Amino acid sequence: MSFAIETEGLIKIFRNRWSGKEVRAVDGISLRVEQGSTFGLLGPNGAGKTTFVKMLLSCAHPTAGRASIFGRDARHAEARRPIGYLPENHRFPTYMTGRSMLDFYGALSGMDTAARQKRIPELLATVGLADWGNVRLGKYSKGMLQRVGLAQALMHAPTLLILDEPTDGVDPIGRIQIRELLQGLEQQGVTIFLNSHLLSEVELFCHDVAIIHRGRVALEGKVKELTAGSGYRVEAEQVPDRLQDELRAKARAVAQRNGNVEFVFGSREEANQAVDRLRSEHCAIETVARSTSTLEEVFVKVIHEQ
Amino acid sequence: MSSRSLRVTVALVRDTFREAFSRKIFWGFFGCSTALILFFIFILRIDVVQGAVATVSLFGNTSPARDVQRIVRQAHGAIAAFLFTAGMFLAVFASAGLIPSVFEPGRIELLLSKPVERYHILIGRYIGNLLVIAINVFYLVFTVWLIFGLKTGVWTYGFLWSSALTLFVFAVLLTVVVLIGVLWESAVIATMVTFGLMLVSPILAQKPLLERLLTSETSRNIVRTLYYVLPKVFDLGRMCRALVIGEPIGDWMPLWSSALFGVVVFGTGLYAFSKRNY
Repeated sequence: MSFAIETEGLIKIFRNRWSGKEVRAVDGISLRVEQGSTFGLLGPNGAGKTTFVKMLLSCAHPTAGRASIFGRDARHAEARRPIGYLPENHRFPTYMTGRSMLDFYGALSGMDTAARQKRIPELLATVGLADWGNVRLGKYSKGMLQRVGLAQALMHAPTLLILDEPTDGVDPIGRIQIRELLQGLEQQGVTIFLNSHLLSEVELFCHDVAIIHRGRVALEGKVKELTAGSGYRVEAEQVPDRLQDELRAKARAVAQRNGNVEFVFGSREEANQAVDRLRSEHCAIETVARSTSTLEEVFVKVIHEQ
Repeated sequence: MSSRSLRVTVALVRDTFREAFSRKIFWGFFGCSTALILFFIFILRIDVVQGAVATVSLFGNTSPARDVQRIVRQAHGAIAAFLFTAGMFLAVFASAGLIPSVFEPGRIELLLSKPVERYHILIGRYIGNLLVIAINVFYLVFTVWLIFGLKTGVWTYGFLWSSALTLFVFAVLLTVVVLIGVLWESAVIATMVTFGLMLVSPILAQKPLLERLLTSETSRNIVRTLYYVLPKVFDLGRMCRALVIGEPIGDWMPLWSSALFGVVVFGTGLYAFSKRNY
């Protein structure tokens, strides 16, 4: 299988020119991102996520290891042709209009004039800035800059999108629109690599994730598998104290929630028995579900364990 | 050059122009040049009678003159001197920010993420910056040359060549701005170092005198080395004057050694840029 992104033992050490002090920003990351997948890169601040992305784009040179994009050495300019990139703290030249900015970056991506002129209005409409194309970027709000930045990343119809905090500063409706846009691209087979600290967003959108901590991959896998719990949750109303004590003895955990009681059992049999007992005492069952962890819980656990 | 490569270069040059327009650099120079041109059109009156200047009138004050060639050369010389000194300082000062602005965090990453070689980005920006100044220099010089030619019938080409030489000096000094921009990303340091080179040039141009005055051989060697290594702005200014007044140029060393300096400094800038992490 060919991978959209493949890194092997990627290391980046920053050395202070004067003191000679070293910082290992990335410490041997080996990662594979399948073509057509949606991949989320997570990690606390200073984990090495941005440095890792910069090495993929050849903005930073690896100290050791290698990175490739669709099988091409990431150091070569041609390897960046299929990439659309939206940096986190972008600073688009304020003297440009939305239209001229898209035209400029489209030309740098190798698009000819006719293709750019056709693509620009389409993209401005897609990101909801059709009426803002001739306005200088200096007049744009943060959310609008994010949208036009996304349009810039999509300008040359890339097959790999690397997005650093794409919904930063965007209102909730805008976030949904961006998510829908990205989902549409995913269906077209575009590989989407999301670097975000918004765990809920990554959980909603990405199928695969990697958690980076102190420059290393701390955890990697499918979101579904990582968040799948091993227990069963039963929530009921008006549970008598006597029955609560009885079920507590069998349950893995018990919690009071808005007058309801929630039990977590280790097996399906235990959960079924509990439901039978609750029904026999005429307690109303609110929920019976397999317990899951949120990506945030997984993230916090991984970081604390390291 | 492939069409794709040309497209990238054109995009980078256009971007530099956009920034120069936005910062009012281009229009500032264009306004100054136009004011000077209007001055020569409306204020200066030269009455030529049978191939010789009968009167020269400036702000209404008329003075008799005889040699039309001399009058034209003097005017050309004054403009060339203005361009070479004040114009050069202004050009370096105004355009020093155009190169380092590319290296701003958040902007450079996006440029580097495109399928363009790093050297191409820097060369495109350099050409753009050079063209911003070149258009203004040629606009001023060519128009003034045309006005004088039409008013007096004297068409001397040395003045046009002197503008090319002025632009050459700017091109050499701009390589320093590029190198400093890459290393320190600072327009202020770039301006200071470039001005420093311009100011030290007249001192080093007195090499024979300095060699006589200095007692230590080490000091003399330092002066010699600096003289030969650094761009010879002062000597090129003399060369410019010689071109305007129609004197032959005896020594081309200041030209080629300054060009060599520019090539080495620009090459170092390209190398440093290719190695930097952003």
